[in-house]
Amino acid sequence: MFAFILRRSIQSVVVLFVMSLLVFCMINLVGDPVDMLVNPESLPDEIERVRRDFGLDQPVYIQYWQFLKGALSGDLGKSYVFGRPALALMAERFPATLELAFCALIIAVIIGLPLGIYAGLRPDGFATRIIMGMSVLGISIPTFWLGLMMIILFSVILGWLPVSGRGEIGVFLGVESSIFTMDGLKHLIMPATNLALFKIAMVMRLARAGTSEVMAQDFIRFARAKGLPRKRIIKSHLLPNILIPIVTVIGIEFGTLIAFATVTESIFSWPGLGKLVIDAIINLDRPVVVAYLLFVVALFLALNLIVDIIYAALDPRVRLQGDDT
Amino acid sequence: MSAGDTRATAGSPLRALSKWAHAVWSRPSASISGLFVLLIATLAALAPLIAPTNPYDLATVSILDGRLPPGQEMFDGTVALLGTDGAGRDVLSAILWGLRTSLIVAISSATIALTVGLTVGLAAAFYGGRLDAFLMRVVDIQLSFPAILVALVLLALLGKGIDKVIIALAIVQWAVYARTVRAAAMVERRKEYFEAATCLELSNGRIIWKHLLPNSVSSLIVLATLQTAHSITIEATLSFLGVGVPITEPSLGSLISNGFDFILSGAYWITFFPGVMLLATVAAINIFGDQLRTIINPRLSR
Repeated sequence: MFAFILRRSIQSVVVLFVMSLLVFCMINLVGDPVDMLVNPESLPDEIERVRRDFGLDQPVYIQYWQFLKGALSGDLGKSYVFGRPALALMAERFPATLELAFCALIIAVIIGLPLGIYAGLRPDGFATRIIMGMSVLGISIPTFWLGLMMIILFSVILGWLPVSGRGEIGVFLGVESSIFTMDGLKHLIMPATNLALFKIAMVMRLARAGTSEVMAQDFIRFARAKGLPRKRIIKSHLLPNILIPIVTVIGIEFGTLIAFATVTESIFSWPGLGKLVIDAIINLDRPVVVAYLLFVVALFLALNLIVDIIYAALDPRVRLQGDDT
Repeated sequence: MSAGDTRATAGSPLRALSKWAHAVWSRPSASISGLFVLLIATLAALAPLIAPTNPYDLATVSILDGRLPPGQEMFDGTVALLGTDGAGRDVLSAILWGLRTSLIVAISSATIALTVGLTVGLAAAFYGGRLDAFLMRVVDIQLSFPAILVALVLLALLGKGIDKVIIALAIVQWAVYARTVRAAAMVERRKEYFEAATCLELSNGRIIWKHLLPNSVSSLIVLATLQTAHSITIEATLSFLGVGVPITEPSLGSLISNGFDFILSGAYWITFFPGVMLLATVAAINIFGDQLRTIINPRLSR
């Protein structure tokens, strides 16, 4: 087990290193950030001075070496646009994204779980066919377009919800979040629902598959024979059994939620990580793009490693050899 | 025993194809969604001929026609059935042209990804050992990241342009194909006809090309359909975010993004109708793919 974790950790570090090299070299081929840094009417020697100040006159390998030295001491460079450390910018924006992703997960479970259980209990019911049909539609619908339609309906036509921003932020038990104020909740509900959409269909499918599997087991038959009411069977026999795989998958999917948040945040101008990186890509703000990418790669590598360890711990049949299988 | 016989034992791919075509025809939801997909493809292919106006001909587009609601008559007398956008372009024509761009991007990227994935998957399954372990490790690592994120990163690195979007989408998708082909080919490898072909000492290329390939592709048909739908959505999302296809050749995603600026002023049609087209296209392909799956492999459904 220990050897496995060590080996995978080393592998993760290698992947992270290769990614940083690739990203750093390739991003240097796109555009000239100096155009963005200086006023277009500046004199040539002014442009040269800025180029030198940011170290952009150096060859790529020297720039990369500088970056690597900085990265090892926790400095991923300064944003060209904000003039502040990229890492600090990300740390500032991260809570908003985390909050959005977390609320989206909760919404996905609240909506997806009951529908999935229902579909699993009545596999041939009329409502089940509608639910499953909707899930195909739910997979096909472009989430960003649905977000716009939500804005048209709830903000423009009905005028119930604000269009953009994070709203007022409340503090509860030392945690700052929009959840704790009415205004914040109003701002949060639409983006969170939009982000949740993809996951609703997923939770539903998992819940349905789990339900039809568990309901066929002997202990459920026994509970029925004992005369337990249906509600009780669902609550204390079915739910605990189907929740374990659902929670695991949700854990894995949390990373994808953070990735998808880039789209949702752009639609609703949610001041999170995703909005930061999209703006950075469009503005050629290289340090922020590189920092974001390394952060996301590290996040995914960590999530995958954790999931693999948990699987192995839960299921001894999983072999812990990594690449030797 | 000739090589042809060994292949015949696994069923001729052509015969299987006609069997599937028949099965599609006899299932209403499969044939309807299939016909719908065909219709959409035809609309896209014929866009320059059937669109009421050419939305990118600056000589005919007039800014005076800007933001006309659906059904209004434009300056030159054509009726804008779905309204006009901010620059006075007919939304219906823009949708047909945009559909064309969207499909071109999706289909070309799927073709590239399929070719690369097929080659990698077959090579991994056939040669096995270290090559297999290495290739599948790369596939694993890539698939652990969400497609939209990988595409976003690639476009940030590659820059703008239709060719760049196609490359990015191909890179995003090849791993899925490689994994599926490898799995299918691994199963075929254990079958007797494969052993027979090896015993006959046919060349590696011939075994891969004539035996492994035809028998491994059936699993790909469904995947390719669903992946195309997926890549249409990804391309639309990227274009919406402003990192996809350039403004000069807008896809459905860029049209929606273009309409985003007008929704607060109530001009919903500029973003609504392109979205409906996008949804209809993706949903039709997805349903058709689902039906194909049921037809090709009845055990997998439900």
